[in-house]
Amino acid sequence: MALEPAAAKREKADRPAVQVPPDKLAALALRLRDEPALAFDLLLDHTAIDWIAENRFELVYVLYSTVHGHYLMLTTSVPRETPVVPTLSAVWPIAHWQEREVYDLMGVQYDDHPDLRRLFLEDEWQGHPLRKDYKDDYMLGLPK
Amino acid sequence: MGLVTDRLPRVVEHIPGGGILITSIDALINWSRRNSLWPLAFGTKCCAIEMLMATGAPHQDLSRFGAEVARQSPRQADFMVVAGAIIKKMAPRVRLLYEQMAEPRYVIATGSCAISGGPFMYNSYTIVRGVDEVVPVDVYVPGCPPRPEAFFYGLMMLQKMIWEGESIARVGRRRKPVMAALPQGIKPEDFRDEVRRLLESENDINVDEAAASKIWLKKVDEWMAKHLLKP
Repeated sequence: MALEPAAAKREKADRPAVQVPPDKLAALALRLRDEPALAFDLLLDHTAIDWIAENRFELVYVLYSTVHGHYLMLTTSVPRETPVVPTLSAVWPIAHWQEREVYDLMGVQYDDHPDLRRLFLEDEWQGHPLRKDYKDDYMLGLPK
Repeated sequence: MGLVTDRLPRVVEHIPGGGILITSIDALINWSRRNSLWPLAFGTKCCAIEMLMATGAPHQDLSRFGAEVARQSPRQADFMVVAGAIIKKMAPRVRLLYEQMAEPRYVIATGSCAISGGPFMYNSYTIVRGVDEVVPVDVYVPGCPPRPEAFFYGLMMLQKMIWEGESIARVGRRRKPVMAALPQGIKPEDFRDEVRRLLESENDINVDEAAASKIWLKKVDEWMAKHLLKP
């Protein structure tokens, strides 16, 4: 909390979890990595959740410190119409591919990402299939 | 005469004029084909563990049926075991492998995913609903995954189909095998009329026609024309 006044501690989480606004994300990530008492030098996982009822994507970064052995979950929320967040691939290089995966399946745009292409699906694929409102012409709905 | 026609159903074939044509060459070719089926070493999901690894291991020995020589190249393989779901990205590659296999080629679809898409049938953006939308399937083995015994039953069905239904006079046309054993409580009288009707109507399969009626096949052909057949 001392590092970033805009960050809020999340209740009801299994691990220490912090929510920040998207514009404060990159600066906070850099400080979390470089502060010797924290030293989060490994980005374990990056994923996104589509809260369609609340009209937002929640981006989740799971951090781990190989020096101290502690975890932190960093979350941020972006609106579904303009899902733009700064990239963290300069802070943790593994975020390069993890952000490509989230872009591929969820359609989150990463600002200043060096190579934002699809990772799993074909280049000519239309849409982002893990969004809750995704439809295509081959997909079969659940029968009533 | 009865002994010969019963014991050697393919050696002696009745022709419509009332005469008898000795098709010994068919019998010899079918005998050698069914006893030396070489599978293509190809698996996409968890059924591959059951179908290719467990059946190939000594406990349930695939070589008892002459089908243990798994080939890494489709050019040398006789049949393909589609063990697992086929995703849209994999579908053109499956078709490509199928077309690289030499005739006659057979496909066994094992498991719910390869038959119909299984648990991924609804609301899936990536699973092709059944491998028969991509390649023509000869034998379906249901289960999730099937037991190795079920796979052997399917393999023996394929052998029976080759033994009884193939002829060098009708290349590319196959005859479905007649069911060998009945479930408990069902007598042959219950479905004799239906079986007779089926045998008269749908017994012969034209492999190319069956393949051309599938939805996904058109997309596969578009993909192949775009990526493989460039001048």
